[in-house]
Amino acid sequence: MSKRIGLAKKEARKGFGISSIYLIYAAIFWGYPFVWLFILLFSKWRFVGSPQFVGFRNITRVLTDPLFWKTVTNVFRFMMYYIPLVLIGALLFAIALNKIKFGKTFVALSFLVANVSSGVAYSIMFSNLFSVNGPVNKALNSLFGITIPWFTSPQWAMFSIALIVIWKFIGYYGLILYAGLTAIPKSLYEAAELDGAGSLTKFFRITLPLLNPSIIMVLVLAITLAFGIFTEPYMITGGGPMRSTLTPMMHMITTAFQRMDPTYAATMAVFVAIISFGMIWVIRKTMEREVDLV
Amino acid sequence: MKKLTVVFIVLLLTVFAFSQTKLVFWTAPNPQQEMFWKEVVAEYETLHPEIDIEWSTIPAAGSSEEAILTAIASGRAPDISTNIFSGFAAQLADIGQLVALNELEGFDELVETRKMGSIIEGWKINGNAYVIPIYSNPVLMWWRDSLLKEAGFDNPPRTYSEIYEFSKNFVVPMERYSIQVIAGRNWWDRWFDFITYYYAGGQGKSYIDTERMKATFNDEVGQEVAQFIKTMFDNQWTAVDLGSDPFYNGAIAGTLMGPWSIAYAENQYPDVIDDIVITSPPVPDNYPSDQPIYTFADAKGLVIFNTTKNLEEAWEFVKWVFSREDFDSKWLEYTKMPPAREDLLTNEIFADFWEANPLAAEYAKYVPYAVPPAPITTTVDVQDIMTVELIEPLMHGTKDVQKALDDAIKAINRILW
Repeated sequence: MSKRIGLAKKEARKGFGISSIYLIYAAIFWGYPFVWLFILLFSKWRFVGSPQFVGFRNITRVLTDPLFWKTVTNVFRFMMYYIPLVLIGALLFAIALNKIKFGKTFVALSFLVANVSSGVAYSIMFSNLFSVNGPVNKALNSLFGITIPWFTSPQWAMFSIALIVIWKFIGYYGLILYAGLTAIPKSLYEAAELDGAGSLTKFFRITLPLLNPSIIMVLVLAITLAFGIFTEPYMITGGGPMRSTLTPMMHMITTAFQRMDPTYAATMAVFVAIISFGMIWVIRKTMEREVDLV
Repeated sequence: MKKLTVVFIVLLLTVFAFSQTKLVFWTAPNPQQEMFWKEVVAEYETLHPEIDIEWSTIPAAGSSEEAILTAIASGRAPDISTNIFSGFAAQLADIGQLVALNELEGFDELVETRKMGSIIEGWKINGNAYVIPIYSNPVLMWWRDSLLKEAGFDNPPRTYSEIYEFSKNFVVPMERYSIQVIAGRNWWDRWFDFITYYYAGGQGKSYIDTERMKATFNDEVGQEVAQFIKTMFDNQWTAVDLGSDPFYNGAIAGTLMGPWSIAYAENQYPDVIDDIVITSPPVPDNYPSDQPIYTFADAKGLVIFNTTKNLEEAWEFVKWVFSREDFDSKWLEYTKMPPAREDLLTNEIFADFWEANPLAAEYAKYVPYAVPPAPITTTVDVQDIMTVELIEPLMHGTKDVQKALDDAIKAINRILW
């Protein structure tokens, strides 16, 4: 009996020994900043000295700061363009990839190139492409006699940024959906065909419902991405015109390091986290379905 | 015996290592400047073996401000750092991180030796000099000579009306524009458009009265400048999103540039170099032609942090660097950026350089008339408001000149208070 307890203890010690590396890592790089974040949330601190407790002042300041809420609505405007377009695009890409007989890897890789390219580099490329005297506007002008103020109109700028991010992520999300597509058993489609289902019925009754887990995953990824978007607006529009592309991330960075107000920036970060987690929770609650493929 | 020798050597090394005073010194992450500081630091260390200067560039981060603030927060601030602009110095002084250099021994002599008496006045924060200005980059107008001639202009336009005249002859919408009036939409872009024009039109008068902490640019000069920006956009003689390097591609005939662009142009567009004419920024029509034209100075300096344990040694090093003319001459040669001194054109030591670099020489002429940004702690917010309340409404034609100026002033004064 005592031997068995000894063994269990030994096992437990071994277990702790192995997982301790991760636990220590998490404590340093996750736990410590997290605790610090909560201290900052309720204090005033400007990089030197010890934080002064100010109660809920930071929080009420965020709640009444029109600039912060402007950045949050900008994120929602971004998602309004981004999510439907990227989802449809990625789905079409996945379906097309599923139908291709050869050269699959090549096509998939070509789309993934966008995902691994440097944000700064392609931002410069797109700002050249879409500039007032750039090739896109020149082509539009000679074909239809119109030009589009891609980055200079408050109405268009966020849409243009969304287009760039869609270009970047279509291949990545497409591959996730493609993996979901290949997991759907062929027999389901065959059975449906026997019952006389058309291709539309098959898509809406079999493909889409069974893709649910992959679609939810893409949605979650897209939402978290939307709240963290930084490089493209920072490089191309600088948050303008009329602050229409100013994102929370840009606002937080200038607040922390250029306005020298890290406590306020930390408070905004907490708010952004709560809003994005909330959205993800709602999406999962309302749209996620249990899918059994057996 | 062997053991004893080893122990002895180790002991000796430790004693030696501890007897050295260590100074942590950060400089701007820029290859030309690194080359300069590397040589300077090496020379100082050979002259003073008791000092060990731990020199490095400001660690990679989003910006040098970010890196320095994080270092301060974690108690790893350097003893000395370069690459500090006046607004950031004001913020650092505000949280008590900087040494007031004018209280140190030998400051006045140093100012005298380096000939920077009036330059340093523009850097003072609440009457104290916290920064030694290293370089002062006047912002000047570049023109493409061939494009000017094409539109029938032998000399570059000097006033707003002349630019209008030129634009009428030159602009082809979507093809080419006369000048890039607005530099961009980031807060720092205001240095390279509105503030430069305002300094030029108002003989260097500051856009902010730092004594009464009030914005002052809704005066006559401010109206002229705002009207100029509005006119250029209303007539579609200028545009903002012109892609990269519009000046070199011929998409615009003129733009404001700093001297750092000379090296870039030489490397990237050697064919264009001979086509460049450098003039002062444009001024209102009634600006007297016998008066010098002022401009904005993109200037950076050096500070000593309050946290240093070796203030005396740090100050000795700083004094040594800036009392040597040959270092300023070397700096100029390596970086092409004018050192912040008032004798650039009279001092023999720089003469050869100006001879060989006529474009850089144009910049030297304006160093005495180049004014740094207002030393306030709220630079980002002030210039962000300028963008949103003043510049963008003028660009999009949503406000008239007076309303745009008044709105901007009102919002800025609220922050300054």
